[in-house]
Amino acid sequence: MKPSLPIFVASFAGLGYAVLGVPPTPTAKAQVSFDRDIMPILGQKCFKCHGPDVAKAAAGLRLDSFTGATTKLYDGKAIVPGDVEKSLMLKRVNAPNLGMRMPPPDSGVKPLSPDQIQTLTTWIKQGAKYEKHWSYVPPSLPPMPKVRNAAWCKNPIDRLVLAKLESEGFQPEVEADRDTLAMRASETLTGLPPRKDILDSYRKDTKPGAYERYVDRLMDQPTYGEHQARYWLDAVRYADTHGLQLDNERGIYPYRDWVVRAYNMDLPFDKFVVDQLAGDLLPNPTTEDRIATGYVRANLTSNEGGAIEEEFLARNTFDRVDTTSTIFLGLTVQCAKCHDHKFDPIKQKDYYGLYAFFNSTKDNPLDGNVLLPPPVVRAETDEEAKEIALIQEKMNRARSTVAIKQATDALTKNQSHPPETSHWQISQVSSAANFDEAFEKPFPGEPGYKVPGAWKAFTFQPDKNYAGVIGKDNSAVYVSGILTFSTATTYSFGVSSDDAVKVWLNGKLIHSNKTSRGVDQAIDKVQGDFRAGNNELVVKIINGSGPDGLNIHLVGDLQARIAQAISDLAKAPLSIRLQNVVKDLYFSTHSGSDPAKAFLSLEKQKKAIEDSIPMSLVAEEMPKPRPTFILKRGLYDQKGDSVERHIPPAIGSLPSGVKADRLSFAKWLISPQNPLVARVYVNRMWQQNFGCGIVKTSEDFGSQGEWPINQPLLDYLAVSFREGGWSTKKLNRMIVTSATFRQSSRVSAVKLTKDPENRLLSRGPRYRLDAEVIRDKALMAGGLLLEKLGGRGFKPYQPDGLWEGASDPASETHFYVKDKDQSIYRRSMYLFWKRTSPPPVMLTFDAPLRDTCTVRRSTTNTPLQALATMNEPAFLEASRTMASRLLQSKDDDNSKIRRAFEIALGRIPRPGEISVLQKALVHFRQKYSKDVKSARALVSVGDSPQPKSMNTSEQACWMLVCSTLMNTDEFLTLH
Amino acid sequence: MDPIREAELMMTRRQLFGKATLGIGSAALNRLLTLGGLGSVASLASAFGDQANHGLPGIPNFAPKAKRVIYLFMSGGPSQLDLWDYKPKLNDLFNTDLPDQIRRGQRITTMTSGQTRFPIAPSRYRFQKADNGGDGVWVSELLPHTSQVVSELCIVKSMWTEAINHDPATTFIQTGSQLPGRPSMGSWLSYGLGSMNENLPTYVVLHSKVSSNKPNQAVYPRLWGSGFLPSEYQGVALRSQGDPVLYLNDPSGMDRSIRRTMLDSVDALNNQQLSSFGDPEIAARIKQYELAYRLQASVPDLMDLSKESPETLELYGKDAHEPGTFAANCLLARRMVQRGVRFIQIFHRGWDLHSNLTGDLPSQTKDVDQGCAALIKDLKRTGLLEDTLVVWAGEFGRTVYCQGPLSKENYGRDHHPRAFTIWMAGGGVKPGIVYGNTDDFGYNIVDKDGIAIDPSVENFTPGAVHVHDLQATILNQLGIDHTKLTYHYQGRDFRLTDVHGHVVKDLIT
Repeated sequence: MKPSLPIFVASFAGLGYAVLGVPPTPTAKAQVSFDRDIMPILGQKCFKCHGPDVAKAAAGLRLDSFTGATTKLYDGKAIVPGDVEKSLMLKRVNAPNLGMRMPPPDSGVKPLSPDQIQTLTTWIKQGAKYEKHWSYVPPSLPPMPKVRNAAWCKNPIDRLVLAKLESEGFQPEVEADRDTLAMRASETLTGLPPRKDILDSYRKDTKPGAYERYVDRLMDQPTYGEHQARYWLDAVRYADTHGLQLDNERGIYPYRDWVVRAYNMDLPFDKFVVDQLAGDLLPNPTTEDRIATGYVRANLTSNEGGAIEEEFLARNTFDRVDTTSTIFLGLTVQCAKCHDHKFDPIKQKDYYGLYAFFNSTKDNPLDGNVLLPPPVVRAETDEEAKEIALIQEKMNRARSTVAIKQATDALTKNQSHPPETSHWQISQVSSAANFDEAFEKPFPGEPGYKVPGAWKAFTFQPDKNYAGVIGKDNSAVYVSGILTFSTATTYSFGVSSDDAVKVWLNGKLIHSNKTSRGVDQAIDKVQGDFRAGNNELVVKIINGSGPDGLNIHLVGDLQARIAQAISDLAKAPLSIRLQNVVKDLYFSTHSGSDPAKAFLSLEKQKKAIEDSIPMSLVAEEMPKPRPTFILKRGLYDQKGDSVERHIPPAIGSLPSGVKADRLSFAKWLISPQNPLVARVYVNRMWQQNFGCGIVKTSEDFGSQGEWPINQPLLDYLAVSFREGGWSTKKLNRMIVTSATFRQSSRVSAVKLTKDPENRLLSRGPRYRLDAEVIRDKALMAGGLLLEKLGGRGFKPYQPDGLWEGASDPASETHFYVKDKDQSIYRRSMYLFWKRTSPPPVMLTFDAPLRDTCTVRRSTTNTPLQALATMNEPAFLEASRTMASRLLQSKDDDNSKIRRAFEIALGRIPRPGEISVLQKALVHFRQKYSKDVKSARALVSVGDSPQPKSMNTSEQACWMLVCSTLMNTDEFLTLH
Repeated sequence: MDPIREAELMMTRRQLFGKATLGIGSAALNRLLTLGGLGSVASLASAFGDQANHGLPGIPNFAPKAKRVIYLFMSGGPSQLDLWDYKPKLNDLFNTDLPDQIRRGQRITTMTSGQTRFPIAPSRYRFQKADNGGDGVWVSELLPHTSQVVSELCIVKSMWTEAINHDPATTFIQTGSQLPGRPSMGSWLSYGLGSMNENLPTYVVLHSKVSSNKPNQAVYPRLWGSGFLPSEYQGVALRSQGDPVLYLNDPSGMDRSIRRTMLDSVDALNNQQLSSFGDPEIAARIKQYELAYRLQASVPDLMDLSKESPETLELYGKDAHEPGTFAANCLLARRMVQRGVRFIQIFHRGWDLHSNLTGDLPSQTKDVDQGCAALIKDLKRTGLLEDTLVVWAGEFGRTVYCQGPLSKENYGRDHHPRAFTIWMAGGGVKPGIVYGNTDDFGYNIVDKDGIAIDPSVENFTPGAVHVHDLQATILNQLGIDHTKLTYHYQGRDFRLTDVHGHVVKDLIT
């Protein structure tokens, strides 16, 4: 039964195929291909000295271009096309005299093999044609090859795969059985086994196209977007902390949730790309567009003491460039950071041309160790936006009750100016045994202290950071000054301190904050009643350890705003915006009236709503780009020539006349002229579904990467993806409904020998599931999985001491506090990701640290993984609650075992499998029927409550049966 | 271009193994080829003693002097001026300004770049000459135990690094790159050399308790990570709290016979699956479960110090009785060396003394001094020192000028990458030598005539040892040419020493 696929046929027809089965282009096997056969030899053996790295071309010879290779040098030409005798290159690689031999014996490069010399010889004989690397030539639709077993094909993927298989003498495998297919499709699309109702309706659906309908249903689940997003999040190195040094939390999860939404709504990939790279530069960007630019901010950042801003600007930008080029172009450009690329046509200048697109965002290169280093956006939903708008309307009404003149006059009259300051002094430094004592204890300098302070004059200015005023740990210092007001005023100002602070006004303590922080991290608001004339201000700074510092922000926030408004009033005509500003300030300073009360209460409401909405890091472009220079050897302080924003000429260029910015760059990425982006992405989608890409080195499409095993297939997918509206759902559907994907994954000895890695797709996919899927499957089997979209990362069970051991005690993520509610049962993609100590089970199963771009995880097989699935509390708890599910029925053991297989593996057990578990049960019962205490200990794992009237011994036995199933290869493997 | 090209080229063995052998398919292939007698091929190594793990063909490149490494890492940057690099002339220069011709405009961190002065802070510690079998070597009074073993030490006073902040500098010395993403040294060695034992990891990481309770630099998995190498080569952290290996212990209520039955059932089910699917990966999984079971016995045996003699425990001092101390970790390291662990890294934190140096440094040295000395003595008397390389190092040194307030009794020191001291012992390094010199301020590396030199990364500068040189030298002792232990990733053959590094011949026998 081969149901026809409407979507597919439509897009197929749209691509202009008139007839299926265009005969394949004849391939002359003896024809040597430059790109496939010659380039790897030249790259490995010659380019070290004769490559595109101009600065180093030895003897003036370059072998990376036809012109270079055929240029006449003093003793002839390296290559004379068609003339083997005259081509000096062949003489030199064959030279018996080691002094003449290429590559030179002392170069560290091994000599060419006889095969390689033969290949070079044939190539020169055939005319020494140079051609562009395959991936730099934009893809076009391949002709559809003829195949013998056309009936097997369900869509063009199959025809392209089958042509390859047949040419290798293989036949595809039969289709996998329904249960296997149901599990496989669900795991690959949603990262979970199918929900019971979806599975049941698939099983009941006997009409043609049942599988396709099942696939559609899976893709409609919100779990689909979550699972698809997870691969993207690996690539963009998404995490919930900054990554370096203190590794404090950062607020960017709305970006993660945006990616989930994008996949669920099937946001076209071109928009997906543009929004992330340059949503802020779109005309009238929406909140969503801006959230998407979290992509640009996802790099690691630091605020290490002593860090040099310019150095970190360079580091951050390198990270952005390298990540962007790997994700979208499949190119490794970082070699060109220090020198022209040795293999690929990326010059150092081109690297910095790309760099220039990313080095002019407004975010400070150092993150300040804060949750929301600006710029940030409030990630409000449409409903929230409406609610806020409603309140704003009411606030406008309140504003309309006040005449602008009344507000202006009142403000001008009551304007308070920052005081004059003078006589700044600093006391001696006093030390204590510890921080507590240093904070509590009075020392010389404190108002009212028995010993007067030994003051020294201090060159001090308000609103300026002073570092190193103490210089010792567990010590304190006092700074005092005179503030002069013309009239008695209640005046508020700010104090920043590293670490703790106390403030006295005219001998009276008015502020105290025992805290540990950097001077840039926060401003304490302090309000004091100042008298007319001189006032004495004393500030005590207490340092716990490390650096210390002080800043007295005398121009308070409100004063600054009033002063600004009054100065604006003097300059500009009264705009609505300015009117609002003035009236709001008026309400704040004259809060007695009814309209003011109403207004301030609305303002409070609005703030409460706004505060409940998460903020997210976004990109914003500086008004004027930073100048960019080549950085010699990649060192930030070794500037070379200046560079303009540009795309490496070998792979493309911006259209003439456009402004060179991130937006144009993003648009170029998704333009039909771009040879790489569609190929690179469909290849990763293929990798997601089959465990290995068509180009295995999915991170490298350059000349040193692997050649596509089936380029027509890759190009077909790339072009139809682009021309078909960049729909990731369509792409996934095409792959998952192909006959290729639906093959059984059983492997014969012959295929295992000849196609060991299944690169030819001679059978269905089979690979170990990713960390997240394994944990989620266990929770689902235990009936524990909590499906909830989005939100802050959650913290489940974790062994004590992991965060503490990996972090500075000053870090806000030093102590791990497990969540106390149901959120510990959420999907793993929402795990709170601390970069310097990610969730341990995830790491054990090969999840990346998320500190560099990862487009391909390794898949290892270690005993630590066995220990995790056997002993980690979440897995044990899931087997306990799964056992409770089984014990709810009064069925016999056999039926319970069947049910357990159904839950954990989605299939009916074979008799041999039932007897294995029956035998184990006998032993388990011998133990736990007598030893109830041990049984009770075993089933006590996890937070979830125990059902009442559960037979503890039986539950313990069945818990182990469930745990056994969760540790089988089948549970851990997509097959 | 030709749209349908044959792919027979991809299946030649050379290319297959020349490329990254990531992924389950290649693992299966490796096993298949090994089982099928198709000759000796690179088999997929495992972090645990999988019998297939013999490392890479051709490695070691030559006969090794050392079989294993114990790397004692002092995180934060120990002060060479108060421990090893004796500068008596500074006593007369107390609180005078660092001369410009010494600083030579070199960059300093933003913690002190705002200081108006760079006043000299002489060490307040006494130095004594310790017998190293030659001219003797000056050692600080803070290291009374280590000073007894200097005849075994190869002390390098002219280490230098390019990074000036902790995270980049630590990442650099651990992985050869200031930016994250590269494999750590231990991972490179597991990958290249493979395992020497069946029951324990190849690369083990130990964290040590720090007595001082002041904030200290973080250490995190990236520093023992496998970067782009398959994650089985990453270091395994042994913990002194809870399970020594994560999730090692069976849950309470389960005894070994129950675990055995459970594992037998898993094996039986997996075997049925194997016979019906034929995927060799299933056989590999069965083996990993058996290894896990063995690990559950071998790790507790390793951690059990009760069979150590009283003399041995005495040697390491009373700290050795407390799990997780540096001394206890040193003793564990010796036990691991005996059990065939290839690379052991012990971290000790808290050396970042910007202020109150004399208040905190004694507690730091007290934490590590006796353990270091005991480890050397213990390895020596058991004959293991000969082929075990011990390394003691931080990520950079500290400045001669004071950060914050200065008195004769107390001072602080900022980060100093231009010159710092490390030592090595055993494993074919020259015992009882001191290599390299610094100027009278301990600021610049100088040549034998006392002239300051500007060492370069590209070319080896005799007398100066760059981080990549140290890495190249360590690899050399293990029989590895540092330019040949490479991994092809993203179109490039990566190595620990990037494109630099020179074996420092003067350091080795």
